[in-house]
Amino acid sequence: MSSTHESTEPSHDHAHPCRGISTNLEDYFLTRRQLLSRMGMGLGALSLANLIDPHHVMAAAPAGKLPAGPLAPRPSHFPGKAKAVIHIFAQGAPSHLDTWDPKPMLAKMDGKTIGPEGIALGSPFSFSKYGQSGLEVSSAFAKTAAHADDLAVIRSMWTDIPAHEVATVFMNTGSLRIAKPSLGSWLVYGLGTENQNLPGFIALRGSGLPPGGSTNYQSAFLPGVYQGASINTQAPSVAQMIQNIRNTYVSKNEQRRQLDFVHQLNEIHAKNLQRDAALETRLESYEIAFRMQAEALDAFDINKESAETRAAYGPGEQGKQLLIARRLVERGVRMVQVWHNGWDHHQQLQSRLSKKAEEIDQPLAALLGDLKQRGLLDSTLVVWGGEFGRKSTRDRNGYDDPGRDHNAKAFSMVLAGGGIKGGTVHGATDEFGTAAVTDKVHPHDLHATILHCMGMDHTKLTYRFNGRDFRLTDVAGNVVKPILA
Amino acid sequence: MNAAVRSLRAGGLFAATLALAATGQAAAPTTKPIASGDLHFFETKIRPLLADKCYKCHSQTSDKVRGGLLLDTREATLAGGNTGPSVVPGKPDESLLIQAVRYKDEDLQMPPKGEKLSDQEVADLTEWVRRGAPDPRSAAVVAGGTKAYGGVGKNHWAFKPVQKPQVPAVQNAAWIKNPVDAFVLAKLEGAGMTPNSPAEKAVLIRRLYFDLIGLPPRPSEVQEFVKDTSPDAYAKIVDRLLNTQQYGEHWARYWLDVVRYSDTKGDAKGQEDNRFPHAWTYRDWVIDAFNADLPYNQFILSQLAGDAMQRARERNTKDKSDTSVGNRWPLAAMGFVTLGNQFNGRREDIIGDQIDVTTKAFLGLTVTCARCHDHKFDPITMKDYYALYGVFANCDKPAALPTLQAKVPQTADYFDYLEKSAALDKREAELKAQREEFQRAVRTSKGKNATAKIDPKTRQQLQRSERELQRDITNLEAQHPGAPARANVVTDVPRPRDYPVLLRGEATNKGEIVPRRFIEVISPDPKKRPVWNEGSGRVQLAQAIADPKNPLTARVLVNRIWQQHWGAGFVDTPDDLGNMSSTPTHPELLDWLAATFVENNWSIKSLHRLIVLSAAYQQSSLNNPHYAETDPNNKLLWRYNLRRMDFEELHDSLLAITGELDRTYGGRPVAISSEGFAKRRAIYTLIDRTNPPELLTQFDFPSPDVATGRRYETLVPQQALFLMNSPMVIETARKLVDRPAFKEVETDEKRVVLLYLAIFQRWPTNQEVALGLKYVKSNPTGTDVVLTSELSAAKLSAKDARIAAKKAQSAKQQGRFNQQVGGVYDNLTPLDTWAKFAHALFQSNEATFYN
Repeated sequence: MSSTHESTEPSHDHAHPCRGISTNLEDYFLTRRQLLSRMGMGLGALSLANLIDPHHVMAAAPAGKLPAGPLAPRPSHFPGKAKAVIHIFAQGAPSHLDTWDPKPMLAKMDGKTIGPEGIALGSPFSFSKYGQSGLEVSSAFAKTAAHADDLAVIRSMWTDIPAHEVATVFMNTGSLRIAKPSLGSWLVYGLGTENQNLPGFIALRGSGLPPGGSTNYQSAFLPGVYQGASINTQAPSVAQMIQNIRNTYVSKNEQRRQLDFVHQLNEIHAKNLQRDAALETRLESYEIAFRMQAEALDAFDINKESAETRAAYGPGEQGKQLLIARRLVERGVRMVQVWHNGWDHHQQLQSRLSKKAEEIDQPLAALLGDLKQRGLLDSTLVVWGGEFGRKSTRDRNGYDDPGRDHNAKAFSMVLAGGGIKGGTVHGATDEFGTAAVTDKVHPHDLHATILHCMGMDHTKLTYRFNGRDFRLTDVAGNVVKPILA
Repeated sequence: MNAAVRSLRAGGLFAATLALAATGQAAAPTTKPIASGDLHFFETKIRPLLADKCYKCHSQTSDKVRGGLLLDTREATLAGGNTGPSVVPGKPDESLLIQAVRYKDEDLQMPPKGEKLSDQEVADLTEWVRRGAPDPRSAAVVAGGTKAYGGVGKNHWAFKPVQKPQVPAVQNAAWIKNPVDAFVLAKLEGAGMTPNSPAEKAVLIRRLYFDLIGLPPRPSEVQEFVKDTSPDAYAKIVDRLLNTQQYGEHWARYWLDVVRYSDTKGDAKGQEDNRFPHAWTYRDWVIDAFNADLPYNQFILSQLAGDAMQRARERNTKDKSDTSVGNRWPLAAMGFVTLGNQFNGRREDIIGDQIDVTTKAFLGLTVTCARCHDHKFDPITMKDYYALYGVFANCDKPAALPTLQAKVPQTADYFDYLEKSAALDKREAELKAQREEFQRAVRTSKGKNATAKIDPKTRQQLQRSERELQRDITNLEAQHPGAPARANVVTDVPRPRDYPVLLRGEATNKGEIVPRRFIEVISPDPKKRPVWNEGSGRVQLAQAIADPKNPLTARVLVNRIWQQHWGAGFVDTPDDLGNMSSTPTHPELLDWLAATFVENNWSIKSLHRLIVLSAAYQQSSLNNPHYAETDPNNKLLWRYNLRRMDFEELHDSLLAITGELDRTYGGRPVAISSEGFAKRRAIYTLIDRTNPPELLTQFDFPSPDVATGRRYETLVPQQALFLMNSPMVIETARKLVDRPAFKEVETDEKRVVLLYLAIFQRWPTNQEVALGLKYVKSNPTGTDVVLTSELSAAKLSAKDARIAAKKAQSAKQQGRFNQQVGGVYDNLTPLDTWAKFAHALFQSNEATFYN
């Protein structure tokens, strides 16, 4: 785990544009304070020179020098296929048995008692084979299934605890206990981001917070710049999605002059206090904010898309979110998380799950098609899934129109795009779909796999905190190689 | 499931199957007496070996038991740990213990880290197992009366009684202002360090104002203090600030973080409205309690058993006409118990949340980890959890909440309220009758001779009516000017009983019934814990927590208060002082303060005085590059920490600086983050648990679902955007310079000085004045104003505006809270050059930090 400490020499491909820059991430971020004191000056001095000239950040850093700022793009551990991740979080724990994991035996046993778990509930959805791969998908995801040959379905996911909040946070941070950084934060910490004018990690959500709230996109002990920026896409206009994105009082030039003046004030203040690191990282956030104003208004404005494209994604909230996600990825945002809540179907399985699937099926299909057409699918890893799965039996509450109860032992995850071998099914659940039995995949393994697609070795992406090296996958995680291209 | 989850997340449980419980289910012990030769062999060779090499990690006295394996009793040794039985008597080759000490298997090597036993020792152990592992040690002898403990970590410092330590001697005695300093300096001197010099007076008073009341001093107050050379000048200000109402408004907020305060239910039950229309009476009680310096033991008692406090109060009041008798103030405190998430009415989860908040807030313990299994890191058992469960399970909410005043003033508004309330009662009765009729019909339709079918629309219609009624009732309670304030109480059920352990936390899986009583490890006498049979047991629970002998209560509170003064506590996890917490930075000082706090009749204000009057607190916060290298987190307190304002401080200071702050004390919640921007202090903002105000969460406001003793400090561009672009900030800057007094100032130099005084509460240097003048000259009023094209892009389209207005209207009608998400203003008035300058000052670090 300490290999990142030892690598003083760049170990990556010499043709890489960032050749000569230490891959020792912690040289830059060990702790906010140590970093700055190690540099012997403070970020302030560095940033004043670098940040006021926005082009500086985009330019390749001269060999041997630090890259400009904590969000600057950094080389991966090895060449990764994917450059960005779009993670669609189907929150509430969607039923795998009615979507991606067909169980004919369960249908046969429908209404009969199957062991202590209770009465079997066969899926009300029909499954068909799609594509050359013959991937079996339920009618709920018929449109997405048209891309079957681009999809890899992990049918053997399992997790630790079948409770929404804890499992949701776990799926994002790999931690049940202490607050740990989310996947997106780790990615931006490790790789920086391609666009310095937008946050590297953006969470798109509706008006409510997901269970666990902002812990799901937190940077925890990583520096605050790696926290996911959470955006409410239900706001009626682009300018309202991102609070205070627009200054309606002064022009850009005037604001620029004002900000330069603020930096001068801060410089004096920092000098008076003999350079405290906490003061100086704040300057960076102002510069990002400044650049965000122009870039974000554009990036989040789906009206700039053609009517055809918008129609393809559909009129709903998820269509809008996925279209924004594509625009963000196109602009170099490292990770976009899209929150699609409401998958907790204890009753009225057929009608409620149909409704949820309908909300995402067309947009997801459109996203895959759109990315492909633009040549972005190869470099964008798309992930769909929830925090755990459902039981093969009727919910015990005895609803007239039953649904399924929580189940941590089995669920499905769908991946496509950068680094993924399409038309793949990995792992299997038992004959009723109650538990993953073959080639089981834990969220730590999923995290390791996502990092792998991005060119990162999950055992080497570490951060020293509280006296030990932490990583996203804790002390576990195996890359799921069979689904890789 | 949410409550379990919450506790898991916060408290700590990994799903690893540590099988501690296995120690109780050991293989049948041999009853055969041990041959004397074998006994001798065990006593001379094996017992010392186990004690010396294994007990550190594998005994009930281990701080942390590894692998779930205990080797200090025969039963436990045979039962083994996570990987199975450790010893198979007579079969060394099949015994994991022997395999481990042989160091042949790479994955199983004990003792770990190359501390391999000698060949002789391995041979002895092998011989012992070959002889059938004769072992005289029995669980009864070793475990004694504490067998019920989870078995881990009971030697943790925080579970031991507070012993008031001696004040240490120091070399530089002249620096000492009070005993706090001796503890701080002793540590510094031990590390060969010296404290920073005292902060400048202007810096110190600004720090003190923000710290004690969350607001900046007026420039004149700074001047007076700087001029006042009397020795008690500082102490006088401390006293004055502690006696302002603003003190309570500031400090109460931190307690509200801890008790996951919200004005809404999160997941309301059935057709209930999501609001707690009277939550604010609890918030106001907390503010009042801080302001009145309510002794902390009474603070605890009131929140858990305000009803008992109220009864005692009424009994002790001789003059029945005393108006204060009518005030049922202590009842409001019980919002502590009642204002958590309602989990769709799921009782086990609601109680789980109540146990969680009680044990975290007062005891710094994550007891809810023991809901499904014994705690993995602390000596807290499921029995402990269900003993407390019984306390809360014997509580009920009354049908109607009591009014805070026994006699509500008979105003016209009140009569109007009563009339409307009666009309709603009538509607409720009608609906109830309809519901009963419907249920009868359902039963009939399920009968054998059913003829009539139930129309699903009838059910839906009924539910809709019920929902509307609940909404209207809540609207009346939350909005009607004559609606009397009410306390969010619980009452004891008429016939309290004990509850069973729920195995694996499952409601249907009942185990042993456990008496209601206190957590074993922190009981004064763990072997003789009194059983609580008076009512629910809430009073006894509160008393056990507020017992001066409780090892945690005072320490937890002192750590919280210290953290708030310094930005960092002695222990960095204020809600968990258990085995997973960090070692305190100053254990002796923590204990000295805890003991002194109890001696001072649990007075929080006395504790504040001890801290802020110390020389340590009055140090400057200047960085020291050398110390920043050796002690970057300032654990040794070689300086005062630089403090970033939290959202409340930032918001309130903006309003205070322009003189716009509405200092109204208490009352119903207001919207401060949506358009219109109520000018009240931020503590009065409405907190919707499901959807907390975005502006607040951007500034690290904690989740209202989890007890949070310490906020994160994150840095996101949205915070910068708020200061750069929010009309709230910009209009504040404009108001500051639009005042006639400012316009009348004769020179630009003086204007710069005035704005520095107003915003930073200090005089600018010559360099700063020159810089300011240069900025002002190069950015004159009215030039370079917004281009029309740029502006139109920012405007809401007519359609968007219609949608927004419609949404807002419908939200209001439905009793939902409309938290405006964006901040789009179409203000065409160009900014005055001075407004631009003032706005720049607001954006600078100095305006958001105090040092």
